Amino acid sequence: MPKIVQIGPYRPQLVEPERFELVVENNKIIDVNIELGYVHRGIEKLFTTKTYMQNLALAERICGICSGVHTLCYAQTAEGVLDATVPNRARYLRCIYTELERLHSHYLWFGVLAHSLHEHEAFLKIMGEREQVQDLLEYLTGNRMNYLINTIGGVRRDITPEKAEKIRKVLNNMKPLPSYILSLLDDNGAFTKKTKGVGILPKEKALAVGAVGPTLRGSGIKSDVRKDDPYAAYGELDFEVVTEEDGDVRAKSLVRARENFESVKIIEQALDNLPSGEIAVKLGKPLEKEEVGRAEAPRGELVYYIKSNGTNIPERVKVRTPSFANDFALIEMLRGDMLQNARVIIESIDPCFACTDRVAVVDTKTSKKRRMILK
Amino acid sequence: MSEKISIYRFMSAGCNGCDVQILECLVPRYKLAELGVEVVFTPEEANVLATTGGINVKGREELKKAYEKLKPPKLVVAVGNCAITKEIFDKGYPMVGPPDQIIPVNFYISGCPPRPQAIVTAIAKALGATLEEKEDYWATPEGFRGKHEFDSEKCMGCSACAQVCSSDAIDVLEDNGKRIIKVDYGHCSFCAFCQDECPTEAIKLTQEYHLLTDNRSTTNVTNEVDLFKCSSCGTYFIPVPQVDWALERIGNEVSEYKDFHSDLKTAIEVCLNCRREIRNIRNAKKLLAQLSAKVRAV
Repeated sequence: MPKIVQIGPYRPQLVEPERFELVVENNKIIDVNIELGYVHRGIEKLFTTKTYMQNLALAERICGICSGVHTLCYAQTAEGVLDATVPNRARYLRCIYTELERLHSHYLWFGVLAHSLHEHEAFLKIMGEREQVQDLLEYLTGNRMNYLINTIGGVRRDITPEKAEKIRKVLNNMKPLPSYILSLLDDNGAFTKKTKGVGILPKEKALAVGAVGPTLRGSGIKSDVRKDDPYAAYGELDFEVVTEEDGDVRAKSLVRARENFESVKIIEQALDNLPSGEIAVKLGKPLEKEEVGRAEAPRGELVYYIKSNGTNIPERVKVRTPSFANDFALIEMLRGDMLQNARVIIESIDPCFACTDRVAVVDTKTSKKRRMILK
Repeated sequence: MSEKISIYRFMSAGCNGCDVQILECLVPRYKLAELGVEVVFTPEEANVLATTGGINVKGREELKKAYEKLKPPKLVVAVGNCAITKEIFDKGYPMVGPPDQIIPVNFYISGCPPRPQAIVTAIAKALGATLEEKEDYWATPEGFRGKHEFDSEKCMGCSACAQVCSSDAIDVLEDNGKRIIKVDYGHCSFCAFCQDECPTEAIKLTQEYHLLTDNRSTTNVTNEVDLFKCSSCGTYFIPVPQVDWALERIGNEVSEYKDFHSDLKTAIEVCLNCRREIRNIRNAKKLLAQLSAKVRAV
């Protein structure tokens, strides 16, 4: 007799606390329903009530964790509408800020993964070390999150030689952390046992459901906006697109773990080759046109669409966030897996947080609900 | 409060940033464990509810349910500006209000997001404990965007800050010959557009980040400027310092206009309505003709 297990909706999570209804038979998940809308804020409507500049602050508040890449992608798209060319120095600075953000986002994800696998020591170590990146971002931009560093036509704050030195110092201090995380995922690593063979997303399925980011790359498909459609200074920097073949949670973790090394590499290169000059240009009037822009967020491909009617307020802004694209991959990953793995699989697409462990089991015979803790 | 604090996090319609800050508080360097505070995963185990984000239609009932399940003393802390005023999402159609319109809220911690340092010291303060804040990371770096401060000498009340504000946090009120610029830092997204756009560098975001309060109506910074009376009809219409600033700027931008200082002053001192009077239009035309003749002569 199948029963329905509900996870959520209130678990602190990335863009939307979601309600997952898992149909379970003999502890095996046979179907999944996802209900969205718990963090719906009417953002796309709000976009059409503010000016292009004010919308920067709104764009970054779509997600507090990858806030930098939201402003970057929005600014890139708006630059098409406002016909602005970003100065070279700003393009490199954007790469530095974005990669620092990718580092802190990935470390946060590993912290949460450790938390959900009950590896308390690893959790404290990763989160403790991660604070250095947060301090650095605060030092560079003026805020720990929602930095508002990218602006339309450039960036708002420059990196002085003094600041560059500080970045190098922190990256050097943190060198052991990516290796430590990788060691947790090797054959005898603490994470391996509970993540290997769990939540497999085969290559064909990943393509069919339109997965993005590390979720897609974990299934062996080389896809990264930074390489496929270079923006900012990514076309001039040398880095590798990391892929793994297995498609399970471990493969996705390995992709993120190895991306940390690439991020450090990108930041160091950008600092070495930082061109001199302006960091922002003055803006003209908006043209009457439509623009689409995309960028690689820590969680995958992020897409912005802006329609302009020539006024300083956009007529329509549409956002496609990576976590939304990955929700459909999540259904494929959950289907056929065991109930006890549900939590780690949901986390593997990086919706950022452990669920608050609140699960309601519904008996389909009596339709009575009882709560249980998923641990 | 004598018993152990158990915090249940309730995240509704916000960006999740504040929620991450609460999680970061668990890092040993913030000494949360020393205060005897733990973060729990069900409202039944908790006696403190930390809500982040404004509440939307779907979250309203869930928030009420979570509040009912709390153990006494049932304290509710609104963490971050969305939980105080809905901040930038204020006018979003699914938003039904900040938590304090749905359940009683005891404390407010302002910030976007508040630093973990601010959250931890707020908890310590509520417990009557003091934290040693010796390490570097308790101080804010230079350029940090914290609570606002007005330089009342420089502010001329032009309200450019209110125009560029990304989350409608700055109100301009006019009353009895005074213009009051009111910044609600509980509504602010700390984007610092006001600081960037201020023509006289009068508004600054300071390093202050301990923004705990138990009274929602105290999250304001205000500055008062006298208004100027129209020389013709006597209504208040423009801040006094702005008149001087405009005259000085005209003189600086085009040096030839300096000779017409008193004529320009008379022209500026007339309100928008009175400028439409025939007499004043004539005067203005005459002045313009004189000005362009002067520029052409040079």
